[in-house]
Amino acid sequence: MNGCGFVESGFVGLVVSLVLLTLVKSAPIVYAALGGVISERSGVINIGLEGLMAAGAFAAAVTSYVLHAGWIGLLAGIMAGAAVGYVFALAVTRFKVDQVVAGMGINLICSGGAAYGLVLLFNQPGASKTVPQLASANVRCLNMNLGELVLVVLAFLLAIALHIVLYRTPWGLRVRATGENPLAVKSAGLNPLRFRLLAVIASGALAGLGGAFLAIGELNLYSDGMTAGRGFIALAAVIFGRWTPLGATGAAVVFGLFEALQYWIAGQIAWLPADALAALPYIAALVALAGVTGRVRAPAADGVPF
Amino acid sequence: MRRLSLESAAGPIGAIVIIVVLMSVAMIVAGTNPIDGFSALILGSLGGRSQIGETLVTTSALLFPSLGIALAFRAGLFNIGAEGQLLIGALLAGAFGGAVVMPPFLAIVIMLVLGAIGGGIWGAIAGWMKAKLRANEIISTLMLNFVAQYVTLWLVTQWLMGPAAIGAETAWLPDTYWLPTLIPHTRLSIGILIAIAIAVLLRFLFARTVFGYELRVAGEAPEAARRNGINLPRLTWLSLTLSGAIAGVGGATIVAGELHRFNTQLSPGYGYVAIAVALVGDLDPLKVCVASFFFGILEAGGLAMQASAQVPKDTIHVIEGIIILVLAARRYVAQRSERVEGGSL
Repeated sequence: MNGCGFVESGFVGLVVSLVLLTLVKSAPIVYAALGGVISERSGVINIGLEGLMAAGAFAAAVTSYVLHAGWIGLLAGIMAGAAVGYVFALAVTRFKVDQVVAGMGINLICSGGAAYGLVLLFNQPGASKTVPQLASANVRCLNMNLGELVLVVLAFLLAIALHIVLYRTPWGLRVRATGENPLAVKSAGLNPLRFRLLAVIASGALAGLGGAFLAIGELNLYSDGMTAGRGFIALAAVIFGRWTPLGATGAAVVFGLFEALQYWIAGQIAWLPADALAALPYIAALVALAGVTGRVRAPAADGVPF
Repeated sequence: MRRLSLESAAGPIGAIVIIVVLMSVAMIVAGTNPIDGFSALILGSLGGRSQIGETLVTTSALLFPSLGIALAFRAGLFNIGAEGQLLIGALLAGAFGGAVVMPPFLAIVIMLVLGAIGGGIWGAIAGWMKAKLRANEIISTLMLNFVAQYVTLWLVTQWLMGPAAIGAETAWLPDTYWLPTLIPHTRLSIGILIAIAIAVLLRFLFARTVFGYELRVAGEAPEAARRNGINLPRLTWLSLTLSGAIAGVGGATIVAGELHRFNTQLSPGYGYVAIAVALVGDLDPLKVCVASFFFGILEAGGLAMQASAQVPKDTIHVIEGIIILVLAARRYVAQRSERVEGGSL
């Protein structure tokens, strides 16, 4: 490599490279999981995270391509997530569509819409042309580019910020109260649907940011299916992390570790089949789900329309 | 009575109106005259024997998972895992049929049973997790889809690769193991008849049996079900297992009926589209048959539309998503007007 002694030498180097890869693989799941936490604490199960990530990734790639500016692409990803989140929020609050059904609808619309957009805008199915990244300069010794580094750090800062917002501000208290007992919130003269609406929009923005990370942070294009179930893994992370921002972040890092392990092991032990290893993160999520759910409690009004 | 029949007609007709309007918009955006686009879609799906055959092949592929999903949804269980269940069922059928020599009729029966077993096991995992560990079935079935995708890919590339296979495919089934063709000179097999038979069976099960009644109570009022002594955990794993088994048989019919070998890419998302089909069909097995045919037209015609009118076929998926949203919203509107008119609540 480039004179970073500790990264390239022996066992320590291997561990360090695994840690760094874990951080990069975790970040998009962290963003989506934070989106899942805020949504579920307000009482809305957001199955649409996967689609919201795809919307963010697609918007980020297209905008970055058209305007040749990665950071505007990032903003576009966030906005696209929030916009689609608004549609989802309207469906589940105002029109009282079943949350799971609406979420699956959002997933189909976003993945189909992005695929349609690829053909329309790039004249090719499957993947976009390469687009400018957020910041492609390599960070010395860290095996990641500047954009990835910034967004990895931002992910953990946002986790702390969401923790403070949820547990230390009146708005956070109201969101949590809406998720536990919307009627009580209404009795207090507040509109619980408004909190759900805002929480779900924020959820969309976070998931969109996670998608933008994939498209223009880690990679430099949008391709169909690039979110690869991360939105669903994030939902498992929310449960594993007991519906708290910091817990969900920790769980997202664990799932990120399994994703990183798959590449890391394949690099070290050639005879292990890569296809079987690719199932690791999903199996980890299943095991986590099986091991933890009997002992945790969801917000009382999670998934219940008001 | 008249109001009731009007209301039940509003769903499918409303769905068709939405589809036509949205598709016109999508076609205009893509620079195609909607009349050309729709004629490509209709000609491509119903314009001749082979087109109708392909439409019915898709109908059949959608019908199995849709019926499975309808069963689970009736019990209030969101089985989003039909895609994985179908894939595992297809793999077992393909691996068996490509390797074993025995009397053809027996082989076909065993392939279909293995399909049911494969899909059933995949559904049962989620059912067991839900019943014993209270693990959310939405997430577990979704995760199992991805596990199925990678496990089948691994098994096929590692051990089951057919001779002279180009992609990740198992060996060809001997042609005596193929399901008989239903319409000559098309790929349509009698698999679709099996699907319709299952639909009729489910209709009977839902309407006339204790199990069907228990499913409904569990889905609509779980607390009442529990208080009335319905064994909810048993019902949970049983319905998810059955749901998976039906999707798995569907996978087996794709292998034995149309492809004649297992391919890891054999489903372009049938299990996900089937969710829309089940909802549009109101979870009623016979209406689900009609909805499957309708979506079969869209999916098969979508390919033709893409080829001849340059409208990306992914338009279809956007529209399916919108239909899911709108139909579920319509149900709410219908419920609300009922409540106002009934005045009792």
